[in-house]
Amino acid sequence: MKKHIAIVEDEPALRENYSAALARHGYSIKTYANRRTAMQAFQIHLPDLAIIDISLEDEAEGGFDLCRDLRALSAELPIIFLTARDSELDAVSGLRLGADDFLTKDVSLPHLAARVAALFRRIDALRRPDNAAEIIRRGSLSIDGEKMQTTWNGAPVTLSLTEFWIVHALARNPGHVKNRQQLMDAANVVLDDNTITSHIKRMRRKFQQIDPAFDAIQTVYGMGYRWVE
Amino acid sequence: MSIRLQLLIVALTTLVLPWAGCQYARELETALRDSQEKSLLASAGTIANALSAQPQRVFRDPDDTRAFAADRGDLYVYPLLSQPLLDGYRDDWGVAGNPTPLPTATGYRARAQAGSTERYLYLYIEVDDTQFDPEPSNVRPGRDRFDRVNLALQRPDGTREFYYFGTNAPGLIAAQSIVPGGDGRDRAVEEPRIQAFWLQTAAGYHVEARIPLSFVGSRLWVEAEDGRGNGKSGVDAVGVPDGGRLFFTTAGLADLLSTFVRDGTRATVIDANALKLGVAGTLSANIPGASEEDTESWYRRLMSVDTSSFPLQSSAPDRLGGNSVAAALAGKAHAEWVRSAASQDLLLTAAAPILSDGQTRGAVYLEQAGDQLLALRDRAVTRLFNLTLLATAAAVIIMFGFATWISLRIGRLRNAADSAVGSDGKIRLDMPESAGADEIGALARAFERLLARLNEHTQYLRTLGGKLSHELRTPLTIVRSSLDNLESEGLRDDQRRFVTRAREGTQRLQSILSALGAAARVEESIKQAERVNFDLRELLSSAIAAYRDGFPQSHIVLETPPDPCFIRGAPDLLVQLLDKLIENAVDFCPSAGTITVRLERELGNYMLHVQNDGPPIPQALHGRLFESLFEQRQGRDDKPHFGLGLYIVRLVAEFHGGTAVAANRADGGGAIFSITLPLI
Repeated sequence: MKKHIAIVEDEPALRENYSAALARHGYSIKTYANRRTAMQAFQIHLPDLAIIDISLEDEAEGGFDLCRDLRALSAELPIIFLTARDSELDAVSGLRLGADDFLTKDVSLPHLAARVAALFRRIDALRRPDNAAEIIRRGSLSIDGEKMQTTWNGAPVTLSLTEFWIVHALARNPGHVKNRQQLMDAANVVLDDNTITSHIKRMRRKFQQIDPAFDAIQTVYGMGYRWVE
Repeated sequence: MSIRLQLLIVALTTLVLPWAGCQYARELETALRDSQEKSLLASAGTIANALSAQPQRVFRDPDDTRAFAADRGDLYVYPLLSQPLLDGYRDDWGVAGNPTPLPTATGYRARAQAGSTERYLYLYIEVDDTQFDPEPSNVRPGRDRFDRVNLALQRPDGTREFYYFGTNAPGLIAAQSIVPGGDGRDRAVEEPRIQAFWLQTAAGYHVEARIPLSFVGSRLWVEAEDGRGNGKSGVDAVGVPDGGRLFFTTAGLADLLSTFVRDGTRATVIDANALKLGVAGTLSANIPGASEEDTESWYRRLMSVDTSSFPLQSSAPDRLGGNSVAAALAGKAHAEWVRSAASQDLLLTAAAPILSDGQTRGAVYLEQAGDQLLALRDRAVTRLFNLTLLATAAAVIIMFGFATWISLRIGRLRNAADSAVGSDGKIRLDMPESAGADEIGALARAFERLLARLNEHTQYLRTLGGKLSHELRTPLTIVRSSLDNLESEGLRDDQRRFVTRAREGTQRLQSILSALGAAARVEESIKQAERVNFDLRELLSSAIAAYRDGFPQSHIVLETPPDPCFIRGAPDLLVQLLDKLIENAVDFCPSAGTITVRLERELGNYMLHVQNDGPPIPQALHGRLFESLFEQRQGRDDKPHFGLGLYIVRLVAEFHGGTAVAANRADGGGAIFSITLPLI
């Protein structure tokens, strides 16, 4: 069965391009230009995944509102923000509102398709009974590559996709220093150094919420980061 | 020239005030002098009129219009204030005039002077005769020859009496009259009421005689006769029967005059011969107030009217002279400024004729000290001078102070304008003096408006990059996603080539856009950075180790103090700062060159120096290197530098409360970037 993807994007050309690219990957696409029409459609029928732009026509933060409303309709629906806005504040707000990923429009279409596929894979994996494939264990850390799920001392850590790939890249070879470029490649995103830094910061905080003594991600000044056990 | 100096010079023009004051004083003096002349002339005229109406009180004999003739033995009788001693000297007469020479045909010289008190006529005869010929005893005056003074008196009743003075023993003597004897021998009979003193001197002899006024009419002949030879001096009553007249002053005239005379004025009445008939009043010697000030002050000299052109007063003790007297005696009132012969003081004189039956019988002559005027003028000028000088000084001081104030305000404004746009491009919007209600305040406000507009523009420019990158991102994404889609459509190889090219172009565009927007993102992330205490030395060691791996072609040297160097800040940001400095240094350092990173403690700061071999920084770039998006010098690679690196360095340094400066090495062999970081 084809997965239904809703694209809420006010720029017609982009809308059509995304739509065409994702359709090529075998998804069924519905596009909406603004929050109102999108919400009307969602109330009738929920898509399997929603890709939302933050600024929609005359609403500068319409995407955030739509995300909140959508999350109210469904707690599990995967939501990806795809926006020209790249400030950390926007990313944090979006993720805090319950979005599963936050992509800037710099992302290429194949990458977008890959992220969408990864997200669907995680959801499918969550629905499937456990299989122990691709599980990395590093001390208290356990990473399920299939479900894209991370736990620390058994407690799940809610990481965004980007953060998940960063932790995955670091933990796969403990002790090895990964520079920022390597981390970006692993997460398949184009980010500047500062954004990597703030991602690292945010990930540490998420781990520390579970375990205040968490100190596994270490900064190697001038080089990058490494996972220590 | 500064405004202060300019206004000072302008203020000096107030010096024209004292000058104008002097001119005014000069005119004032002329006017005063004119009016003084007029008023004195009027006084003289008034007195003359009053006296013309009562000639009997002016002249001893109103009908006597005789002319004075010294060669006929006429004598002026000085009024004596006190009774002189009969001692042969006239010092105690109190008369300034000298005895007048008696007419002589023989060269025998004698001089005579007459004076009178209320009761006596005094006669003083001075004879030049070194050889004393005494009067013989049992003298026969008609025949014997001896030194004697003959005297003829016309009695008030018109009869004449003859006397002579002679002695063989100088001293107090009496006049002797000659009485014809019955035997044909005349003899001398003493007249004890006419006393005299005979004084023998080296040059001759003096006779001072005292004659009761009751003996004296209007004539008196006097003659000195030598005891040997035919020496004679004077006139005898027989030889010159109409000579020997006595010109008395008029009794009571002085009292009469004094009723007319004001203080400081001297009035003299003269007869047609210019002989004084009466004097009243005194010239005031001291003018009150005149001595208080230095009358020889410099501006007095500056101002003084040249008085040397005024004629000297020509007056003798017994008579008056001068233009005004001559004019008055000619029947015309006249005033004249003269100089006193004795003291050179300036005097105003006025004379008016006394008329009787249309004939000029005499004149009233008034004198007034001109120094009064001078003193008056001096006082006025002095006050004026002092006041105007004071006013000028005050004006100059006030103008100078005012100019200083204005310059200060303008200076403050200038300094503020100089520093309004800081080296970091930040604009200070408030200007000093903008509250002022005057033009400077308006200028300051205009500056503020200008700066506000400039600031708006600067803000616009500053955010332009971010805005542009944001606005261009969507169309760029459209192009790129379209290219992505195009590639998926299954292109031929030749088509794919163009797509690849287009993709490369979009990627370059992409990197430019992220550089443009990066400044804003960096500022934001710096704002959100957290501060912790950390060891800068340790951070440097680990970071430099990484750089050595990263840039193997460069020789990186690290110099640090031996102890840990703790500062408070964001280590991540400091690493970024270091990244940028090292990248920059590597870009400009030749392949065998050395990059030295040195940390040292200096006063209250840590100083972090990063220096590299290589070309120096061009002078034009100093101070601009740390600006956002400033296009830097060309590095070794050919890609353009957007200059965000050093801007980040500055932002991070400022975040830590420090500064970032760039300089050239003293040897010119490279650049040195220095960061100050405050101690905890």
